Amino acid sequence: MTSKETFTKPIVRENPVTLHVLGICSALAITNSLTSSLIMSVCLTSVLVMTNVAISLIRKHLPSSVRLIVQITIIASAVTVIDQVLTAYLPDAARTLSVYVALIVTNCIVLGRAEACAMKQGVGASILDALGNGLGYSIVLIIVAVIRELFGNGSLMGYRILELAHEGGWYEPNAMLLLAPSAFFILGFLVWGIRTWKPEQVEKADFKPAPLPDREKR
Amino acid sequence: MNNDSPLKAFLVILVTAAVCSSLVSATVVTLRPIQLNNKMLDRSRNIIKLTGLVEEGATPSDEKMLELYRGMDVRIVDIDQAEFNSELDPLSFDQRRAVNDPDLSVAIPADQDFASLGRRSRFATVYVVFRDGDLGRLILPVHGAGMWAPIYAYIALESDLNTIAAITFYEQNETPGLGDQILRPAWQAQWKGRQIYDEVGDLRFAVSHGKVEPGSATSLYEVDALTGATVSADAVTSMMHYWFGPHGYRDFLQHILEHGTGEH
Amino acid sequence: MTDFIDTFFRAVFLENLALAYFLGMCTFLAVSKQVKTTIGLGIAVIVVEAISVPVNNILYNVVLRSGALDWANLGHLDFSYLGLLTQIAVIAAMIQILEMVLSRFFPALYQTLGIFLPLLTVNCAILGASLFMVQRDIGFVDSIAYGLGAGVGWALAVIMLAGLREKMRYSDIPAGLEGLGIAFMTTGLISLAFMSIAGLSF
Repeated sequence: MTSKETFTKPIVRENPVTLHVLGICSALAITNSLTSSLIMSVCLTSVLVMTNVAISLIRKHLPSSVRLIVQITIIASAVTVIDQVLTAYLPDAARTLSVYVALIVTNCIVLGRAEACAMKQGVGASILDALGNGLGYSIVLIIVAVIRELFGNGSLMGYRILELAHEGGWYEPNAMLLLAPSAFFILGFLVWGIRTWKPEQVEKADFKPAPLPDREKR
Repeated sequence: MNNDSPLKAFLVILVTAAVCSSLVSATVVTLRPIQLNNKMLDRSRNIIKLTGLVEEGATPSDEKMLELYRGMDVRIVDIDQAEFNSELDPLSFDQRRAVNDPDLSVAIPADQDFASLGRRSRFATVYVVFRDGDLGRLILPVHGAGMWAPIYAYIALESDLNTIAAITFYEQNETPGLGDQILRPAWQAQWKGRQIYDEVGDLRFAVSHGKVEPGSATSLYEVDALTGATVSADAVTSMMHYWFGPHGYRDFLQHILEHGTGEH
Repeated sequence: MTDFIDTFFRAVFLENLALAYFLGMCTFLAVSKQVKTTIGLGIAVIVVEAISVPVNNILYNVVLRSGALDWANLGHLDFSYLGLLTQIAVIAAMIQILEMVLSRFFPALYQTLGIFLPLLTVNCAILGASLFMVQRDIGFVDSIAYGLGAGVGWALAVIMLAGLREKMRYSDIPAGLEGLGIAFMTTGLISLAFMSIAGLSF
C-alpha cells in the first residue's frame, strides 16, 4: 500500500468510527462542544502517533507472551503524559474533558492500530497510519460537534453565531442536542449518509423480508 | 536472543517499565508547578469576582488576580461552634476532603438535611473582605445535591450579613440548556440585593416558582424561577435553606454581627 | 446501609455507564447481536467491575494519593499521576486471574464467555468506573456499591439493546442503516428514556 493510501484510507473508506466501530465512547460524550472535540482529536492523534512509533520500534523484540501488557503499558504512559500536558497548559479544557482523556487508554482505535499496523510495519508507515486514523476520527468528531454545538447552543467554539431567544435573538436552541442521546442519533444519521454514499460499507442483513406475492396473480 | 525465552520476556518488561515510568515521572515533575499555579488562579478568579474589588466586566490579568487573592483575609470557620478557628491553616485546609474524615466532619440529622448532603465538614474556608478597615463583604462556600451531581457555589454577603452581594456557581453538572441556567449572568444578577432573613429572623430566601413581581411581598427575598428547571432551582433553594439554617452558618453569622470579625 | 443502596441505584440508573456516559459501546456494538451472548458479556463485566473498583480504591487510598503514604513516613509524596497505569494494570491482572479461575473451576461459563473476557481489558466501562471512583473520591464501602452498580447498569443496558436488536432482525431497515446505524438510533432512544428517571427522589 502506498504512503498516500495509508494516510487517506482511514478517512472515509476505512474510517475507524463509522466502519470499524472503534473509539465510539469519546466520540459521543464530549461532542457537545467543538472546542472539546478539537482538543480531544489532537490528544488522540498524539497518543496514536506516540504509541505507533514506540511499538513499531520494538516490534521485532516483543515476545508474544507479554505483547498485550507491554502495548497497554506504553499506551497508558503516553496517555498519562498527554493528560499532564493538558492539565498544565489547558486547564479549563482538562476539566471539561475530565476522564475522557484518560479513557484514550481503552480507546479501541489505539490498541487496534497498534496490533494491525505498528506490529507489522516500520516507523514511517506507522506514523502515516496513525495520522490517517487520527484524521478519520477527528472528522467524525468535528461533524457531530458542529451540529450539536451550533444547533444546541447557537455557538461555535464559544463564539455566538445564532442569537439565542432568551438573550433577545430569534433562535430557540434545541437543548436536546446538548444531551447524551442526540449524539447517538447524529452518529446514526452520519453512518446512514456514509453508507448511502459508499454502498460497499453496508452490512448485510441477517434476513431479508420475502417479496409479497403479486396481488393480480392470485 | 530468542524472542520466546522467559529471560527475554522479563528483560523486555523491565526495560519497558523503566522507560515508561521515567518518561511519565519526568513530565509530571516538570509540569507540576504550572498545574498548581493554574489551580490557584482558578480559585482566585472565582473568589475575586465576588469581592467587589474588581469592576463589573473588567478582566484583570492573571498576575493582578493572584495579587488580589493573596492579599485576601482567608479564615477557617468552625460552623458548629459558630466562630473562627485559628488552629487550622486556611490556605491548606481542604473542605471537600474533610467531609470524608470522621474527625473533621459531622453527620447531618435527616430532618435538617435539606441539601441531601449526608455529612458536612465541621469547618469552612471563608473570605473576609475589608473596606476602609471595616467589614465589607463575607464570602462563604455553599454546596448541595443538584439534579445529576453536587452544585458548588460561593456566596458573598454584604456587611449586614443578610443582604446578598453576589453568587457564583463554580462547579455544577446540571442539564445543559435547562438546569445550567443557574450560570446565566442575568439570573445571578437578580441575587444582588436580595435578603436571606426577614425582620424577625426567619429564613425567607428562595428561588420562586414563577416570575417575581417587583414590589410584591416576596420580591425582597426571591429570585425568578428557571423555566423547565424546577429540580435544579429547588436544589439551589434547598442548598440555601440548609447553609443559612440552624445547622449551617446562621449561628456563626449571628456571632459575627454581635462580636465583629476582628482585625485583618 | 441506605448509602450503599443509594450509591448502587444511582450507578445503575442515573449514572448508567453505557447510556449516560457512553462507555463500553465499542465492544458491545461490534460484537453481540444475541441476547444469550450478551448476558454472558454482562456477567463478565459485573464480576470484573465488582472486583476491580474496590481493589483500585484500596490501591489509590493506601499508596497513590497525596498523604496516603503517611504510614511509611512518606506522606508528602503524591503518586496520583501513576493512577492510570496502576488501574489498567490491576484490571488486566484481575481479568487474567478470573480467566484462570473460570477455566479451572467453571469451564462451562468459561466456554460461554469465550473471547469476551480478554477483550474486557480494553473495555472503556471497566476503566471508566475506576476513573470515576477516583474523581468522586468514593470511600471503600461505597466503591463496592459503585462497582457492582456500574457493572449491573452496563449489563442491563447492553442486554436490553441486544434484545431490541434481536427483535429487529426481521425488520425491513433501509440498507444504509442496517446494523450499526439502527443500533445507534435505538441506543439513543433508550438513553433518552433513562434520563426520565433523573429527579426521582425516594
